[in-house]
Amino acid sequence: MKSKNYSKKISEVFKKGGFVFSKPDVLLDSNYIIQRSGESFKKLMLTFEDDSGKSMCLRPDLTVASCVKYLEDNFKGTSKIYYSGQAYRRSNNSKDSIINDQVGLEIIGSKKKTSDDKEVINIILKSINKIKIKNVIVNVGDVSLFRQLIDSLKIPERWKLRLTRHFWRPKYFEDLLSILETNSDIDSITVDFDKKRFSEMKKLNQNQEIAGRKICEILSRFDKKIRDPRSFAEGKKTAKIIKEFLKISCPIDQMDKYLEKFFKKYNIKKNLIKNELPIKSLLRSNYKIIFSTNFGRDIEYYTGMVFEVLSKKNKREIARGGRYDDLLKSLGSKQNISAVGAAINLKNL
Amino acid sequence: MKEIVTIGLPSKGRLKESTVKLLKKNNLKLISKGGDRDYFASLNNLPNARVIYLHAREIIERLGDGTLDIGISGLDLLYESAINLQKRIKVMKKLDFGKADLVVAVPNDWIDVQTVADLEEVSFHFRDKKNSRLRVATKYPNLTNKFFTSKGVTQYKIIISLGATEIYPFTGSSEIITDIASTGSTLKANNLRILKNGSILKTQACILASKESLSDIKKRQIVKLF
Repeated sequence: MKSKNYSKKISEVFKKGGFVFSKPDVLLDSNYIIQRSGESFKKLMLTFEDDSGKSMCLRPDLTVASCVKYLEDNFKGTSKIYYSGQAYRRSNNSKDSIINDQVGLEIIGSKKKTSDDKEVINIILKSINKIKIKNVIVNVGDVSLFRQLIDSLKIPERWKLRLTRHFWRPKYFEDLLSILETNSDIDSITVDFDKKRFSEMKKLNQNQEIAGRKICEILSRFDKKIRDPRSFAEGKKTAKIIKEFLKISCPIDQMDKYLEKFFKKYNIKKNLIKNELPIKSLLRSNYKIIFSTNFGRDIEYYTGMVFEVLSKKNKREIARGGRYDDLLKSLGSKQNISAVGAAINLKNL
Repeated sequence: MKEIVTIGLPSKGRLKESTVKLLKKNNLKLISKGGDRDYFASLNNLPNARVIYLHAREIIERLGDGTLDIGISGLDLLYESAINLQKRIKVMKKLDFGKADLVVAVPNDWIDVQTVADLEEVSFHFRDKKNSRLRVATKYPNLTNKFFTSKGVTQYKIIISLGATEIYPFTGSSEIITDIASTGSTLKANNLRILKNGSILKTQACILASKESLSDIKKRQIVKLF
């Protein structure tokens, strides 16, 4: 009953902000999710096979379900929606509930990224205020800062992609940094042997396939790897820079100072923070806000601003959200569609 | 009947041969009334023990449901089994036979793929450029999933193999495989190579016991005879 009242009050704030009620489908085609999140995510989903043998699942997430609906409705332009419903997914933590009651909002297809980000954060904080929850901590980050940092480093392109792709898997990311530090992935004997095979394979029909890959495809990637070696010393330095960057954590009003100090120390282009970060709008907020470069690494689809609101008392997550500009494309859209959203977890109120 | 200890032994192959040798070394002789094709046997100086010859995978299942008290099988099969089964089985002793590695193997001519990190990159290429997922043929879907997740490989699809996994990449059924290799010669003969950091698990034969059976002193004593 309590959560129903909360849901009603929060929905009113969303409605006043110009958001329209939407009902994302409860059942989704599992392939939508697996194609994006991979085979390992399958075990966290509640799936079954329908009569035609198609694998279906209960929506594991309302953001994904909203995006699927946006694409299925063939919506063009900006969609400002809110929803109230349940998401169903198992967790690696046995204490977590399988069913999560959420009230959330999404802005999909808008080009006003900075103002949309600000709007989503502010409307969530306003909703929490409306239901009279006062003692909260807000953690914020911006995943795009990490991407920009990686772009500015002197490492091969494939390593840049690798580090960016695995930013949200902290454990494996640590392994990657240690490979980078020690160069343990390079085996000169095998490389020499493969160079001989490379010359032989060049003489073969380049369109011939070996286990689903054309010879020209294999040779081109091999050639790229050989031509784009990474410097041993540079690998160690790069790993150090990344590790130190991910340690930055400070009150939001100190963010610029901390970042500038870091960039100066490692002589990195300062324009990373010259762009206006939407989270800076929180400078004027009355809440206790902590900026951290390491924050937002547990959900794969975030690409920019990320935030969470925690209860000061028991540190439980009240709300969470962020920008996810790549999600719709990975769900099948032919074009890039920008999107940002957040949800309030009613069970933790 | 309650006093009878039921022992599951591998029904064929090298695992069976090595198990028979091990029992002989410990003065335990197997007696089968029906000859070589008999699935039941007894042990000469253990009248309360009944031996059943089973597939090594089946031994794990039956230890888990309590049909068997003791069994000899591979560590790989135990770790591949469902987590609720694993919780009911205890590894009593690791044996000196059945040693092998569960490995990730790719076609020899994929010369650009040396490590799992390379594989991860290629799997994204399959997703982004070919709009398909890299297919991995295996008899070990659980261990393979766990390994790939820990190494950051997510864009793949498991193809369950029932045998001759090595030929899958060359028949169009998968692109790569994970399989058991003891010397690596079968993989080599089939134009496959093991990735540099592609060892998923080091396995060997083990004496396993049902945890429930271990609460019985008599049964516990029999385990010690192996």
